[in-house]
Amino acid sequence: MASELTTESYISHHLTNLTCGKTAEGWTCDPYKVDQMGFWAFHVDSLFWSIGLGTLFVFVFRKAISKNSDASVAPSGMQNFVEMSIEFVEDNVQSLFGSVKNTLIAPLALTVFVWILLMNLMDLVPVDFLPVLAGHVAYAIAGDAVEWIKGPESLYFKVVPTTDPNITLGMAFGIFILTIYYSITVKGLKAFVAELTLHPFGKYMIPINFVLEMVNFIAKPISLGLRLFGNLYAGEMIFILIALMLFFSSIPIGVLGFGLHLVWALFHILIVALQAFIFMALTIAYLAMAHETEEH
Amino acid sequence: MNINATLIAQAVVMIVFVAICWRYIYPPILSVMKEREKRISDGLEAAKKADDSLEEAKLAFDKELNQAKAEAADILDKANARASQIVNDAASKAEAEAEKILTSASTTIENETNKAKEELRQQMSDIIIDTTQKILGDEISKEKHEEILKKAAEEL
Repeated sequence: MASELTTESYISHHLTNLTCGKTAEGWTCDPYKVDQMGFWAFHVDSLFWSIGLGTLFVFVFRKAISKNSDASVAPSGMQNFVEMSIEFVEDNVQSLFGSVKNTLIAPLALTVFVWILLMNLMDLVPVDFLPVLAGHVAYAIAGDAVEWIKGPESLYFKVVPTTDPNITLGMAFGIFILTIYYSITVKGLKAFVAELTLHPFGKYMIPINFVLEMVNFIAKPISLGLRLFGNLYAGEMIFILIALMLFFSSIPIGVLGFGLHLVWALFHILIVALQAFIFMALTIAYLAMAHETEEH
Repeated sequence: MNINATLIAQAVVMIVFVAICWRYIYPPILSVMKEREKRISDGLEAAKKADDSLEEAKLAFDKELNQAKAEAADILDKANARASQIVNDAASKAEAEAEKILTSASTTIENETNKAKEELRQQMSDIIIDTTQKILGDEISKEKHEEILKKAAEEL
């Protein structure tokens, strides 16, 4: 029943999320009914990996503490990694945040960094491996019971959560809310509103000021989310295109594809870590801005 | 690539994970790290202190040693001086003694000589008087010619 595999279907298969939502007939994950779901639909694959990797982060870090909470014993193994990450985050918070004391910032930065790093690292798993596995598992378990699963190929499954704009923008949105919260609690509502309305042009141009400042204000979370999404999406896209060389062309080009895959994977490690770091650094920077009372 | 409720779900999930990290993960690890850091710096400080006191002890030891050496040298000098003084004293004493003995010996010799001379003179004059008496008979008496005899004795 599987439709014939073409370049186009292969790419679109890899770029479509497993979406579950409510249609007129009730809840379904049928990929052909995504259009009917509207806003209240969930990318189950993205959320699965996002929550799974977040839990992995919590589990690993929690285990590192319970294993060795005695300061007189030298740390070893995973604890070294955990403490290294924390030191790295502490340094960054220290340099960007300076003297302002806020105990939430460092844990937030740590969570964001490690979590995004883990999600980005899913990009290094060969593009077909997990989707095909998930498809076969789903078909074996629920093939006959669920009407829309017609074969292992009919299940869409995207592995890298950060190639889903919902995930990246969702995190940026969470940080945006925190920014607003701290802007209001630290500076006071009056100072926060004044910041948005009284410059660059002074109090007689409040509407223009507000529009300009609002663009500036909203651009921050959107650019934060889209930057991460864009980088990872492009990386994923190149992996898919390289994978195409293996499946849809002659043997020499397939061999070249193997080489290219290796090269791109090595290069991608840099992007994976760099984007996680940038997201963390900007998170800290935006929250630091929320704590600063600007003088004009 | 639709924007849908996943966004809100992810924001909620993020808040949950951040809260877990904030409450249960970050503070305990950080406190262990801080405590260890403190222990290490304390240990280093203690090591430095021990090093310092070792240095101090070494200095004190050197000082003591030098002092002892100086004292020993001093004692040796003194002993040497004393020994040479004793030797000198003994030598000068012996010299003096020798001188004394020599002097007394020569005095004795002189006395003896004088005595012998006197005796000799006496005997001589006696012999002479005797002889003269014998020759001259009684003409010359000892009493009569006392003066002449004395003169003669003196000339002898």
